[in-house]
Amino acid sequence: MFQNTKCECGHQNPVGTVLCESCGKPLLEELLTDESAPLEMRYDGVARRSQKANPHIVDRIWNFFSSVKIAVYLIAITLVGACLGTIFQQENTLINMTERSEFAAFYKEQHGTFGVIYHALGLSRTYESWWFVLLLVMIGTSLVICSLDRVLPLYRALSKQQIRKHLQFITRQQVVYNGTVEGDQEAWLTELGKQLKRKHYRVYQEKGALLAEKNRFSRWGPYINHIGLIIFLLAVLGRSIPAWHMDKYLTLYEGETRQIPDTNYYVKNENFTVDYYTDDELANNQKGTKVVKLYETEARLYECTDACDDPMKEPVLTEVKHHNIRVNSALSYKGLKLYQNSYQERVRFISVKPSLINSATGKSLGTFELSMDHPAEKLEVGSYKLTLSDYYPDFSLDDKSQPMTKTREPNNPAFVIRVNGPNIQAAGELYIYFAMPSEKSKYYEKIINESFKQRGDNTGLFTIKVENPIVDGKMNNITYSEYSTYLNIRVDKAMPYIWFGAAISMIGLIMGFYWQHRRIWLRFDDHSLSLGGHTNKNSFGLRADVAWALGKTGIEVEPKSLDNRRNVR
Amino acid sequence: MTLNGWIDFSSDAFIVAFYLYCASFICFAIAVAGKRWSNRKPEDHTSRWGKIGFGLAVLGWLAHLTFFFTRWYGGGHIPTSNMYEFMTFLGMAIMFAFIVVHLIYRNMILGAFALPLIIIIIAYASVFPSEVQPLIPALNNYWLKIHVTTAATGEAFFAVGFAAALMQLIRVVDFTRTDKAGKRSQFWTEFSLFVIIVLIGFLVAVFTFRAAGYESTFNQETIVIDDAGIAKSSVKEVIYSLPPLVAPYNSEAVSFQSFIGMKEPLFESPSWLNGANAGRKLNTVIWSVIAGLLLYGVLRLFARKKLAAVIHPHLSDIDPDDLEEISYRAIAIGFPIFTLGALIFAMIWAEIAWSRFWGWDPKEVWALVTFLFYSVYLHLRLSRGWQGTRSAWLAVIGFLVVMFTLVGVNLVIAGLHSYSGV
Amino acid sequence: MGRYRKSIQYIILAAVLLVGGYAIANSLFSKSVVLTKGDKPPSFRLAGLDNEVHELQDYEGKPLILNFWGTFCPPCRDEMPALQKQYDKWKGEGLELVGINLSEDKLTVESFIRQVGVSFPILMDKDKKTEKKYGLKQYPTTFFITPKGVIQEVVIGGLLSEEEIEVRVQRLMKS
Repeated sequence: MFQNTKCECGHQNPVGTVLCESCGKPLLEELLTDESAPLEMRYDGVARRSQKANPHIVDRIWNFFSSVKIAVYLIAITLVGACLGTIFQQENTLINMTERSEFAAFYKEQHGTFGVIYHALGLSRTYESWWFVLLLVMIGTSLVICSLDRVLPLYRALSKQQIRKHLQFITRQQVVYNGTVEGDQEAWLTELGKQLKRKHYRVYQEKGALLAEKNRFSRWGPYINHIGLIIFLLAVLGRSIPAWHMDKYLTLYEGETRQIPDTNYYVKNENFTVDYYTDDELANNQKGTKVVKLYETEARLYECTDACDDPMKEPVLTEVKHHNIRVNSALSYKGLKLYQNSYQERVRFISVKPSLINSATGKSLGTFELSMDHPAEKLEVGSYKLTLSDYYPDFSLDDKSQPMTKTREPNNPAFVIRVNGPNIQAAGELYIYFAMPSEKSKYYEKIINESFKQRGDNTGLFTIKVENPIVDGKMNNITYSEYSTYLNIRVDKAMPYIWFGAAISMIGLIMGFYWQHRRIWLRFDDHSLSLGGHTNKNSFGLRADVAWALGKTGIEVEPKSLDNRRNVR
Repeated sequence: MTLNGWIDFSSDAFIVAFYLYCASFICFAIAVAGKRWSNRKPEDHTSRWGKIGFGLAVLGWLAHLTFFFTRWYGGGHIPTSNMYEFMTFLGMAIMFAFIVVHLIYRNMILGAFALPLIIIIIAYASVFPSEVQPLIPALNNYWLKIHVTTAATGEAFFAVGFAAALMQLIRVVDFTRTDKAGKRSQFWTEFSLFVIIVLIGFLVAVFTFRAAGYESTFNQETIVIDDAGIAKSSVKEVIYSLPPLVAPYNSEAVSFQSFIGMKEPLFESPSWLNGANAGRKLNTVIWSVIAGLLLYGVLRLFARKKLAAVIHPHLSDIDPDDLEEISYRAIAIGFPIFTLGALIFAMIWAEIAWSRFWGWDPKEVWALVTFLFYSVYLHLRLSRGWQGTRSAWLAVIGFLVVMFTLVGVNLVIAGLHSYSGV
Repeated sequence: MGRYRKSIQYIILAAVLLVGGYAIANSLFSKSVVLTKGDKPPSFRLAGLDNEVHELQDYEGKPLILNFWGTFCPPCRDEMPALQKQYDKWKGEGLELVGINLSEDKLTVESFIRQVGVSFPILMDKDKKTEKKYGLKQYPTTFFITPKGVIQEVVIGGLLSEEEIEVRVQRLMKS
């Protein structure tokens, strides 16, 4: 491909130049055939960096990504891909499933054959799939290369503009005026320049020619936007760096303290509250239904300061933050964020305070506390020593009728307690105590204590039970949690970069869309005046500017008549 | 005045706004259609009636604003929290965008296309229950104000871009052409109008049956798998206000009001439509198409030609390039606002409320799709051959994408944004 | 200028390849924690019922059976005697057997161990931490680890009979 790139004005242009960089004369053959057609003014007609005579493989890749057409295709394919992902639920919304087989079964059951196909194609994980990520990577690449290829030549072209442009360049703009000016042309030009200055144009004048320009900075808007998008995309990628990102869920019943996995922090659910709207506050069609007004976790965040990794000792915790976590109000501490995700209404035992009672007199000998988590093994009640010899959080019998715990949760806690003390048999008295005040539990308790008695393990001297279990309609001597809170724990160190990228991108968008680069060229050839105007957006506004300025200098024109697009109708 | 008094007052203001918009539309229609009436200069006629129309539109908008702020005051929170409130707000935003674009371009004809759009949207809003509902915890945040209003404003400019693009398409469509491409453009232009008629048909169907007090009820059984992985079935009552041609999936009729001899639903909705009340929505869509077809048939019978061909001659003295510029400009104004409101502010709020700025929730994805679509539009306009009719088509499709994001996602896809239960 | 431009092109394309490659690789390889044959078992540091601290590296260089169990899990309870018998049989040859309890109360565990008469070390997991590290899905899960510290086999779910354990121990001894 050989092309004579030297313009008649003497300027040597790079290969691929559409309009001479210096005088603006159209250089491409096809532009010369129709002399009245408006010019293509993209990037001021400069050669893109990538347009080269002999492409090498690297150049070819470069050229591929440098094409806006390719960019548009990439965006369009991403758009379609993103749509596909919304046909059915994505796998990541199914928090309680992890295995591929579970997901497959879910899609089959929920959506039938379509679901099976959808899952098999991997569309149930569209946004994490390699092809979707690849598309985003390619868009990112295209953003870098497209911008780089255009912004530098454009910058060069705009920073050294000739004032007197080629006649064809002027008459083939989108806004054109041709006329004659009698009298002092230079004085008229100066006057016009003055008027244009009032419209905030920068005016450059030389003999018989004028260039007025404003809002050139808006040309950089798209590129700034692209830079912002690149930062944004890189920041999103940064989230995949393990140390930068954490996303964990914790369920905590009221009063529970748990370690936040993989950190040195512990969180305690001090108290959980749910408020419902009263009927007065609800709309008529909602009355009688339960609408949640507020739910919040009173949380305490602790940092472990000592014995953190020592399995033999309890960690030493120091409170670092106290916050009521609500939807829209997370606990935030040094980049660690605890969000209220949801909650569950689920009763869970925390502890019980039964009394040791003399069966014969019915008199209480004192109370003791049994915690459902790590209950104390040695207790003292008056002059008696109590030893916990067994604990079943969820009492049940196995297939050999041996007592066992069904789960790890204290759903039906049973304690086996040995009582030693004065005036009782040397081995002490053995009792089982069920904390759950249900009929079934108490029945078991009775049967087992009977069998202990028959074996001679106890003489029925004592009874263990909670006294005054209900006071003023409230449970007494039993502490339990009504709700379990479900917290989402996050670390997202990439967030500042994400917001930064978004902000840059937004600045670029505003620059590019709310201001328009406008330029007006004038030249005199003898008495005939040629005016051309160009803007990248809003030629309506440019026409108004030109007509206004011409009007101020004695040439009355209709803005509409300046329109040169599709020739003059 | 009591708080409820304010809410009642706001409803009145809304009705006033609605009628003012209708009056404004009639004036704009006269401005367009009456140009060739005898004894007048066309430009003066258009300018006079256009000015009256615009004045009425501004008055309507003021009434609409009154509605908005009195409801805000009476309800205690910004009225953008359910479908009714959002749609009325969108109508108000489109009106705002229209006023802005009108003040820039002073094109008297634009109103003839923008106002029906606004009227349809606020009529659509009225389909939903208009009672003030208290906020659920997730919405109770100042970002509700910021995110929803900016997103809707951006979308409103896209709506104005759509109106101008549709005008442009009707303006440039050539009814004398008989070749394939010509036929195609005639068909699709007509089809766009047909879709709008279907929307009107939907409104007519809903309000007719509502006026007649129609109601049928079903019990629908749904199976939900809870956190522990246990399948639970729950029975929910589904009330139809249009005669059920389609029953909800897995349901039985509780009460069925017969309609012209129809005693039971014709078929059951498919299982894969999984939005809330999918069966009822499908039923509504079918009714809308039926009503739209009827309405379209009647109009064609009167006009005896394609509807686009009826409007086309009235637009002949508008420069299609002007229309294209208006459409493009409206979209160019809307794009940054949309990006800010529907993506960036949405991300900030999602980060605050849901702990992640982006979660590929269907609504989020569709906001992104809208963004990508308009990016394609803006990039394609850089290249030759994509200005003119093609970009007008893109502007029209773009608005369809917007409407799908706003309405369609709630209609067919279940997700985090399904607050309104609509 | 040409050379300068070329090097910029190379640098940018290389950066794209690197960053993009990382992104795509990330999406291709899921971060599942399910351990299989050939994996290295994650380390742990836990308290034993013997009031000593036990670490995985204490058992380095010896064939090791790691059994995750709980008293709430019937197959775990049922296979305990078989494990104990095999431990008695092979401990002379250097076999190590460690039971990791699934975060239960010490009291509950102790009384069960006493009942069955287990003599191999029982470690107490806390807050399901170790269990999660090992990616457990079902109980019991038993890991057979070679002296080189590589997982030879994972047996998920019960119940292992004495013979089944023996076959695997022999295989472990041979490696």
